[in-house]
Amino acid sequence: MNTSFLLFALLNPLFALLAAPLYMALIRKIKAYAQGRKGPRLFQVYYDLKKLMKKETVYSPTSSWVMRFTPYLNLSTLLVCSLFVPLVFVPEPAGGLGNIIVFLYLLALERFFTALGGLDAGSAFGGMGSSRSMSLAAVIEPTMVISFAALAFVLKSLNLHEMFALTAGKILPISPTLVLVSISLFIILIVETGRLPVDNPATHLELTMINEAMILEQAGKNLALLELAHALKQLLLMGILINTILPVGLSTEIDAGKIAVSTLLFLVKAGLLAVIIGLFESSLAKMRLFRLPAFYVMAFFFSAITILIEVFA
Amino acid sequence: MIDPTFLEGIIKILFVFVLISAGLIISTRNLSSVLTAYTIQSFLLAAVSSLLYMIDGKNQLLLLAVLTLASKVILIPYFISRIEQKIKIGRDLHFAYLEPTPSLLLSIGLIILSYTFLSGVFKGLPLSKLFFFGAVIGLSLTLMGMLVVFSRKRVITKALGYLSMENGVLMFGLFVTELPFIIEVLIIIDLIILVILTTIMAVGMDSSIEEYRQKFRKLQIWTGGESQ
Amino acid sequence: MIRYYLLVMGIFLAFGLIPKSHRLMNALAAGNGMLHLVMSCVALSMLDLPERLGETLYLDHLNLYVELITSLGFTAAAFYARGYTDSLMEAGELDPRNLKTFYLAFNLLLVTATVALFSDNLALFWIFAELTTVCAAMLVAILSARENIDAALKYVFIVSGAMLFAFLGLIFLFTLSEQALGKGTLNWTELAVHASEFSPALLLASFTFMFIGFGAKAGVAPFHTWLPDAYARAPSVSAILSGLMQNLGIYGIIRMYSLLRESNVAPQASSILLAAGVFSIALASFSMFQQRNLKRLIAFSSVEHMGLLLIGIGIGTPLALFWALFYMLVHVLVKETLLFSAGILHRQYRSNMRENMWDVFKLQPRAAWGLILGSIAIVGMPPFPLFPAKFFILLESAAVSPYLTLALLLMLILAAASFANFLLKAFSKVTVEEEKDRHTIRTHVEAGRAELKTAAEKADHDEIRLPNKYVVRSGMRVPAIFMLALAFALGVYFPDSLRDLLDAIILELGYV
Repeated sequence: MNTSFLLFALLNPLFALLAAPLYMALIRKIKAYAQGRKGPRLFQVYYDLKKLMKKETVYSPTSSWVMRFTPYLNLSTLLVCSLFVPLVFVPEPAGGLGNIIVFLYLLALERFFTALGGLDAGSAFGGMGSSRSMSLAAVIEPTMVISFAALAFVLKSLNLHEMFALTAGKILPISPTLVLVSISLFIILIVETGRLPVDNPATHLELTMINEAMILEQAGKNLALLELAHALKQLLLMGILINTILPVGLSTEIDAGKIAVSTLLFLVKAGLLAVIIGLFESSLAKMRLFRLPAFYVMAFFFSAITILIEVFA
Repeated sequence: MIDPTFLEGIIKILFVFVLISAGLIISTRNLSSVLTAYTIQSFLLAAVSSLLYMIDGKNQLLLLAVLTLASKVILIPYFISRIEQKIKIGRDLHFAYLEPTPSLLLSIGLIILSYTFLSGVFKGLPLSKLFFFGAVIGLSLTLMGMLVVFSRKRVITKALGYLSMENGVLMFGLFVTELPFIIEVLIIIDLIILVILTTIMAVGMDSSIEEYRQKFRKLQIWTGGESQ
Repeated sequence: MIRYYLLVMGIFLAFGLIPKSHRLMNALAAGNGMLHLVMSCVALSMLDLPERLGETLYLDHLNLYVELITSLGFTAAAFYARGYTDSLMEAGELDPRNLKTFYLAFNLLLVTATVALFSDNLALFWIFAELTTVCAAMLVAILSARENIDAALKYVFIVSGAMLFAFLGLIFLFTLSEQALGKGTLNWTELAVHASEFSPALLLASFTFMFIGFGAKAGVAPFHTWLPDAYARAPSVSAILSGLMQNLGIYGIIRMYSLLRESNVAPQASSILLAAGVFSIALASFSMFQQRNLKRLIAFSSVEHMGLLLIGIGIGTPLALFWALFYMLVHVLVKETLLFSAGILHRQYRSNMRENMWDVFKLQPRAAWGLILGSIAIVGMPPFPLFPAKFFILLESAAVSPYLTLALLLMLILAAASFANFLLKAFSKVTVEEEKDRHTIRTHVEAGRAELKTAAEKADHDEIRLPNKYVVRSGMRVPAIFMLALAFALGVYFPDSLRDLLDAIILELGYV
C-alpha cells in the first residue's frame, strides 16, 4: 500500500459520492429542457436523498434479511468499485485493486443482489423486474466482457490504473480503435444504468419497468442508499468512458494543484457527457422488451468486430 | 503529405463500420433501413477506395471510387426507393431460415472462417497486415451477402444481399490486386440487378397485395389450384 | 476481332426486331443457329488450330467443339420453338407482344455464348457467361405466370451469386500470375503454360472458388436448386437453352482442371470434382424416384448427368476425358429429344404431372414413343451412344476406387428405375368405355389395377370427356426425330472425324 494509493482511496470515493447525484439531476434537467420544461434543480437529488433518510422504513412481513442487506451491500460494493476508476488522479496500482475483471464481477454482484432484493418482498412486480433484468443482463454480459477485453488489449494491461496511466493527459485517444471501444462503452453505459432505449428511468407504469421494479418495495433509508448506489454506478461508468476517449487533464502525480485541475476538468467533462446522454435519451423511444436481445447482439457484434480488428489487423 | 499510419487508422475504423452495415443488412427488419445500410456500405467502400488512392496513387482506384459513388450510392438506392414507393412494401418480417440474432452470431463465425481460410492460402503473398484484413473483410462481406440471399424471402432484400456480395468482391479485389476488367464487371453486375429490379417493379412482387394473392391461391379460390 | 463479330451480330439482331410475323422471326432465329453451326464446321475443317484471330478471339478444338454442340442444339430448338410458341399463344399463356423479346433473348443467348466460348481472357468469359445467365433467365420468365418469374429469379440469384465467387477465384488467379510472371494475365493460354509455377495453396483456392461458380452454372449439386424449377416451370424451349448453358459451365470446369493438372494440387482438385459428382448423382437419383412431374424428372436426370460428367473429368485420364467430351454431345441430343416430347405432352395435357396423362398412345403416340426411346437412351442402354460413354467412364472410375464404381452403378440403376417407374405409371393409363343406362361411362384404368372407382364414385363423378387431340405441327415433330436419329447413328457408328476431333482436344489440353 503506497501513499499515493492511500491518498487516492481517501479522495476518490468521497469525490464520487459527492458528485454522483449531481449528474443524475443534470441528465433529468437536460431531458426536461428537451421536452420544453424547466426541470428539477441541479441539487434536487441531494435534497431527495436527505428527505428519504428521514422517512421510516417499512418492510413487508414476508421479506427476509436479503431486503435489509441489499442496500448496504450495493453501496459498499460500489464504493469499492470507486477505488478502481480514477476520477481525480491516477494512483500507483496497488495489488488487485483496479483489476478490470474484479470490477466486472463486483458490478455483477451488485446486480445479483438487487435482483434478489426485488424478489424478496414477494410482490409480483418485483419478481417481474428481477427476471427481466437478469435475462437481459445475461445477453449484455458477453458484450461487456469483450468491450473491456478490447480496452485491455489496446491499452496493454488488465489493471484500470495502469491503463489510464497510459492515456492520462493526452488530448486525443491514442489509437483509433479506442474510438470504437468508446462506442461500445457508451452502449454498456446506457444498458447498465437502465436508460432509454433500454428502460425508462422516469416511468411510473410498473409493467414497463425493468430496473425500477426491483427497488419498488424499498423505502426510506434503504431507498436512499440504493439511489445513491445507482448514481455512483453511473458516475463510475461515465468515468471509464471519459478516461478512454477524452483523458485530457487527468493527472498522474500527487500535486495539489494538478489534482484540483483534474477534479474540475472531470466535473466539466462529466457534465458534457451527461448532456450527451440526456440528448441521446430524448431522441429515442423505448425499445420493445423482446427486441432488446437483438439490440444487444448487435452491440456484441460491434465489440467482437472491434476486438477482431485489433487483434488481427 | 498525410501520414500513412493515420490513414491506416481511419481505414481500420471504416472497416468496422462496413462490417456493421453488413450486420445491419442481415438483421434489420425494416426495408428502408436495409436500403440505408446498403447505401452507407457503398459510401464507405468509395471512401476506402479514395483513401487507398491517397496512399497508393493508382488512378484506377479513384475511378472506382467515383463510379461506386455514382452507381451504388446515388442511382441504385434511388431506383429501389422509387420501387418501394410505388408498390408499398413495408417490412420484411419473413425470415426464411434464420432469425437475426443467430445470423449475426453466424456472421462472426464467417468472419473468423474467412480469416483462417485466407491466412492459410495467402502464405506466399507479401501483403501488409491492413491489406490482408481488407481481403478478409471482402470475403466476409461476400459470405454475409450470400447469407442474406439465402435466408430472406422478399426479393428486394435478396437483391440488396446480392449487391452486398458485389461490394464484398469489390473490396476483396481492391486489397489483393488491381484488376484490369473490374469496371466492366461492375457494370455487368449492376445491369443484372437493374433487370431484376425492373422485373420487380413490373410485376409488383413483394407488395402486400402479393401476400393476399398467395393466400387466395392457397385457398384455391382463384384457379383450380393445379400444382405445376 | 470480337468487336467485329459483335457488330455483325448486333446488326443481325436489329434486323430480327423488324419483322412482325412469327414465321419470319423464327426463320431468323433458325438461320442464326445454322450460321453458327456452319461457321464452326468450316473453322474445324479449314483452320489450322489453335488459332488466334485478333487479340481476344481464340479458337481451338475444345471451344469449337462446344460451339458445335451449342449451335446444333440451338438450331433444333429454334425449329421446335415455332410450333411451341404458336400453341402457347393460342392457349393464351404467352402474350404475343412478348414474342419479339423472346426471339431477341433467344438470339442473344447464342451470341453471348459464342463470345464466351471463344474468348481467351477469363474476365471476358466471366462477363459473357453472366450475360448468358441473364438471357436464359429472360427466356424462363417469358410466360406471364408468377411461378416462372420466381423460377427465373431463383436462377439468376443462385447462378450469379455463385459466379461472384468465381470472380473471387479469378482475382486469385490474377494475383498468382502476377506473382509468378511479374505481369498479371487472365488468358487461358498463358496461364496454362505457367501453371506449374503457381503457389499450390492459392491455386487450389482459386480452383475451388471457380468450381463453385461454374458448377452452379452447370447445375451441379449443391448448387443445382435452380434446375428443377427452371426446367419444370419454363416452356420446353427455355429448358433446352438452360441445358446448353450448362455445357458452358462444364467447359469452364474442363479448362480449369486442365490448368491444374500439371501442378501438385491435382489430386485435391480431382477429389473435389469426384466428391461433387458423386453427391450430384446420389441426390439426383434419390430425388428422381418419387417424382411425379415429368419435367422435374428430366431436370434431376440432368443433374445426374452433370455429376457423371464431373466424375469423368475428375478422374483425369485421357480416356475418361475423351468419353466425357463425347458424353456432352450425346447428352444434348438425347435431352433435347426428351424435352421436345415432354413439351408436346405438356401442350396436350396442360400439365406435367403423371396423374394427368391419360391415353397417351391414343392422343400423342409419336411423342410417347419419343419419350420412351429418349428415356432408354438417357439411362444408357445400347445401342444408344450414352452406353459406351457411361461404360468407359465407369471403367476408368474403377481405377480410382472399385467402391466408387459400385456406388455409381447402383445409383445409375436407381435413376433408370425411376424413369421406368414414371413411364409405366404414366403411359398405362387408359380410358375404358362402358355402356350403362344409355350413358357411356368412361373410367380411367391404370395398369395393374382393375377398377379405380367404386360404384358410388362412378355415380357422383362428372363424366370424363375425352380431351381434344392436340395437333402437333411438323416443326415440333421433326427436330425430335432428327435428334433421336442422330443419337442412334452416333451410337451405332462412331465417325472417325469425331474421334480425331476429340483426340485433338485432349492433346491440346495437355493430357498425354
